[in-house]
Amino acid sequence: MPNTLSRRDFLKVGGAALGALTVSRFVPPRVVAAARTAGLLDQNGDGYIPTMCEMCVWRCGVLAKVEEGRVVKLEGNPDHPNSKGKLCARGQSGLMNTYDPDRVLTPLIRVGQRGEGKFRKASWDEALDVVAANMLKIKEQYGAQAMIFSSTHNLSQVQFENLLYAFGSPNYGTQRSLCFNAMVTAFSLTYGIEEPSRDYTSVKYILLTGRNLLEAISTSETSDLMDAVARGAKLVVLDPRFTKTASKATEWLPIRPGTDLAFILAMINVIVTEKLGDCEFTARYAVGCDKLPAHIAFYTPEWAAKKTGIEADTIRRIAREFAAAMSDALAHPGWRTSNFINSFQTERAIATLNAIVGNVLTPGGCLNAENPEASGITLGKPSQPPYPRLSSLRLDGVPWKYPLVPLKLGVFQELRDAVLTGQPYQAHGWFIARQNPVLSLPDRQKTLEAFGKMDFIVTVDIIMNDSAWFSDVVLPEASYLERYDPLLPVSGKVFIRQPVIEPQGEAQSALWIYKQLGERLGLGDFFQYQDEEDYIRQQLAPLGNYSLEELRLHGYVEPPAKEKSQEITFNTPSGKVEVYSETLANAGYPALPTWEEPPSPNADQFYLLTGKVGQHTQMGTQNNQLLHKYEDYPRLWMNPEAADKLGLKDWELVEVTSEVGSVKVPVQVTPAIRADCVYLTPGYGHLSKGLRTAYGDGVSDSVLHVTYVDPVSGGQALSQTFVTVKKA
Amino acid sequence: MADKKRYGFVIDISRCIDCRACQVACSLENSVPLNHTRIWIHDQGVQGTFPKLSRTFVPYNCMHCEHPPCIEVCVSGATYKDPNNGLVLVDQEACIGCGFCVEACPYDARYLDEKLGVVDKCNGCIQRVEIGQKPACVATCLGGSRLFGDLNDPASDVSIALKNAKSLFRLDIEGKDIDTDPNIYFINAPQSLTSLVTSDAFKQQGQAVPREPKYTISEEGWKKVLVPAIAAGIGASFLVQATYFTKQLIEGEKEFDE
Amino acid sequence: MSKPRMGSYKNISIVERRRLREKKYKKHNLANILTHWFNVGMWALLLPTGIAIISSPRLGLSPVWMQELFRNMFGGAANLIKFHYTIGFLWIFVLLFNVLLGFRKYFVPFAISRMLLDKDDIQWLKTKPLQMLGLMKDKTLPPQDAYNAGQKLYMYVVILGTLGIMVSGPVMALKTLFPPIVKQIAQPLHWVSVFAIVAGVIIHVYMGAIFPEEKEAFFSMFGGKVSAWYARAHHEKWYWEKVQEEMDWEEEVAREIESAAGADPQPAPAKSGD
Repeated sequence: MPNTLSRRDFLKVGGAALGALTVSRFVPPRVVAAARTAGLLDQNGDGYIPTMCEMCVWRCGVLAKVEEGRVVKLEGNPDHPNSKGKLCARGQSGLMNTYDPDRVLTPLIRVGQRGEGKFRKASWDEALDVVAANMLKIKEQYGAQAMIFSSTHNLSQVQFENLLYAFGSPNYGTQRSLCFNAMVTAFSLTYGIEEPSRDYTSVKYILLTGRNLLEAISTSETSDLMDAVARGAKLVVLDPRFTKTASKATEWLPIRPGTDLAFILAMINVIVTEKLGDCEFTARYAVGCDKLPAHIAFYTPEWAAKKTGIEADTIRRIAREFAAAMSDALAHPGWRTSNFINSFQTERAIATLNAIVGNVLTPGGCLNAENPEASGITLGKPSQPPYPRLSSLRLDGVPWKYPLVPLKLGVFQELRDAVLTGQPYQAHGWFIARQNPVLSLPDRQKTLEAFGKMDFIVTVDIIMNDSAWFSDVVLPEASYLERYDPLLPVSGKVFIRQPVIEPQGEAQSALWIYKQLGERLGLGDFFQYQDEEDYIRQQLAPLGNYSLEELRLHGYVEPPAKEKSQEITFNTPSGKVEVYSETLANAGYPALPTWEEPPSPNADQFYLLTGKVGQHTQMGTQNNQLLHKYEDYPRLWMNPEAADKLGLKDWELVEVTSEVGSVKVPVQVTPAIRADCVYLTPGYGHLSKGLRTAYGDGVSDSVLHVTYVDPVSGGQALSQTFVTVKKA
Repeated sequence: MADKKRYGFVIDISRCIDCRACQVACSLENSVPLNHTRIWIHDQGVQGTFPKLSRTFVPYNCMHCEHPPCIEVCVSGATYKDPNNGLVLVDQEACIGCGFCVEACPYDARYLDEKLGVVDKCNGCIQRVEIGQKPACVATCLGGSRLFGDLNDPASDVSIALKNAKSLFRLDIEGKDIDTDPNIYFINAPQSLTSLVTSDAFKQQGQAVPREPKYTISEEGWKKVLVPAIAAGIGASFLVQATYFTKQLIEGEKEFDE
Repeated sequence: MSKPRMGSYKNISIVERRRLREKKYKKHNLANILTHWFNVGMWALLLPTGIAIISSPRLGLSPVWMQELFRNMFGGAANLIKFHYTIGFLWIFVLLFNVLLGFRKYFVPFAISRMLLDKDDIQWLKTKPLQMLGLMKDKTLPPQDAYNAGQKLYMYVVILGTLGIMVSGPVMALKTLFPPIVKQIAQPLHWVSVFAIVAGVIIHVYMGAIFPEEKEAFFSMFGGKVSAWYARAHHEKWYWEKVQEEMDWEEEVAREIESAAGADPQPAPAKSGD
């Protein structure tokens, strides 16, 4: 309604008169002003602002509904390929992370003992000075390598890495070795790509090995899978647990933990010996398939039946059905499948299985192994001097102990042993950004001991997570709805995460924090951007004539697509799918997918399985009140058969003990798990009393997990811990 | 009237994955307090014996019945069925929060908001529907289980889904004085489901949906004792004055005139 | 002074009747009158809106056309209820204000002189209802006070009912302050209170405004006065009290005149019994 003075306007006019006294209060906040200029918000400050989710790493497109400077609702952005207009429970609840009553709103400096939770508020200047002074002190006394940096997958990570490389430390811990190292390493070696994307448009046969896609949700992929199932695609789920994914499957096979590899190898055996595969594809695009029949001959379905507990006929039938679907068959790479130290071999076998039915990179194929650089989008970045040369060994053993683990993945869980033994040298400081190693690393006690060896710990987070609780300085980061992050190209479009509201309290973006810190550390040259917007403008520059305002308005820009080459090439040394890997052979590992016997528990022990629930992301969302509202209380799953033997009833408190620790938790007697396994939802059992919602809720599986490292990929074998259970 | 709408939900049970995105979305869209929810996912629990197992999730919310028991008991007229679209809505300004309707709803689809002192329930996100959006739960449903639309419109999502449904059931309650005639249509459920939801096992757990409508003692007593008593009282007093008046008309006015 | 025979107006001469008709006694003071008519006005607004609010089909208390009419008139149930709340609170406030302000000066004397039941009242209560049904024609009614026993009883109903309404109404209106069960109990209390009063009001209005014998009573609610004739016919006991008061006053005046004239002061005569 233009040119009409509404009641609201009238009130504003009245307010303006008052405003003469308190002018500053009536100047619209920066974010609102900018969003208004961009045409995203109306006169009242209401509207939708496109941005990007950060409740997990899937990064859905979000439309944030803003009313008078507050986010009131988040919608999936229909223009974004990862959300397609939908958001999962976590994505929907995202604004409760921002409005968490336990948000850290000012920099905090510890005043009590570590772990006591006594902090005092500090100004940014003071806090940053303290951090810089401590880091410089450590660098001076022990060298830059004495400073450990760790952070979890996020869009600003590039500047975090910038900070640590500029500082000169080789010690970088990420969550990757606790997650997808096996998959990434295996697929990099086989296809030359870290993670092939899945295409469900024509899929007819889906094999999920421990990929609980309906609970470990990736919005668009979860939707696509349900569409495929509704369309009539066959879904076979290998999982020791009857998950929600299994409940939607055509066939659920409660496989013995750690033996998915045997199942896949037997499938390959059937397909190869019965010549059911896509010979044309393998002949043209794969190396080593000729070596496969002899190598695989031993892995018969009958052999696999003994390992997996699944009948040979079933394995044979599934192999034939899978092969019959040819390029419409999909064996999902998962993240780490069985979570045993043979996970790397399992992933290699899955990569091979897909290749021999010819679904990789073929038109209509279900696995897309296209090189990400092929999209032709290369973002700009601020210029910077070369990093100082790294001369010291990495504490996590890459590559001197783990030659094939990519440097940027690392073997995070190994760091602590180096810290505790002081070998090959002693670390003295730990910089943690948006990560909670206290809960995410196996063997929590060991992590806390390693913390104890530190002279200085600083944590950047939006809430007082457990690691922040044990830190010396806590720097409050702006939440993903309050800040810019570097741009992200997805499927030919470049998406932006932009602030939709003002930061709560004094929270600041990671880009700002790292730059401020860099300058105080004398590394200003590595952070040549004025502010977040300037950084993004520099990123945009090579894409063509796009303005930041245009990007902000739509949430993305779509540079003209580069002509796709018809040639199918893989980013491997041979340019083909490497079923036989020369690289592996040279490093002294089996060059073809090979069986590795996983350890098995004693008669009185159970496999301790880990997994996901659809309402939480790892250990980062338990304090979100809305997710807490709709979560299931985390109990220890146990089969009735096993419970009977131990004389346990539902909800009875039990003591679960592993080699490294023990927890007390109520039991959930359910037939949805094998009798030789128990399961505990991870991410609970927070130690930080600064998390009022999460504190006291459930127990942490990190107390129980024993550290087992896959020697090839460096991945943590999270399900290889065996526990005993008794009445508490 | 051809253009009169009848909004309803169609829920494809085979597609619900119990991710609860709908519940969180609903809570935010409608500012539902943290201790309450407007929509539910009924978990059948793991059925069968290892390894032949099944598990079914039944999402539901207010059924927007054709003959809602909640409206029957609402004393202030706050609960009403929108004549234009058939949604059962609550005028919270008119609601006094007595909770008769909470007890009466056979689907337990209502709750009392202690802070506001009023009753709240699913309103079909009418505030979104009016501007052409889908209800929050439907818009974000990952499995594509929840559908919403005009059941009178043959081209709507819901009508099409109903036409293609492999199976269909409703949680209808029919009894002596009651026939809710709900407007949530559950499709593509496993065969056993209709009986499961109302099974005795679930009733024992207090989870039966639907259940018989409950009428509180005060409401029941009010109807059975007080209303007749009041009617009798007023009737009697009217009778007294009427008798007196008639008598006077017949006998004529006495002794007061000069 | 000898007490006159009561209940014997039939033998009064026409001249005397005329005198009595012209002579006025004050029955109601201004506070009473104003409060009464304020009450009437508020009830006229509250009763129909209240009835129109109760929409529960299960109770079937109010006709649907009335609900529709009032909802349309006020633009929806919420407005109707808000109106009822507003008028209700106004009613409660003014009534409480009047009663509390005039509690000692008006209310207590009123309650004592006009609400206590005596032997005659009980006799009246035994006889009157039967007479109204056409029985016991021959029995004479005992003389009555300013209010008859029926009115006195009704006063109790009104006071209790009013309290019931005043308590239960706000319980429902201030909906956040009370748990649902209290609000559930408040509803029947509200309605029983209202209908108990309404049941009496039907007779009260009929007697006061329609019944020809009681015309004077109706007009007294404006002027505050009734004729001596009316008082003698309907509230004989009160009439003779008034007469006694006058006579006492005359004697007092006479004594004062005498003492002013210098004569020996005489002791005041002992008050006669009832």
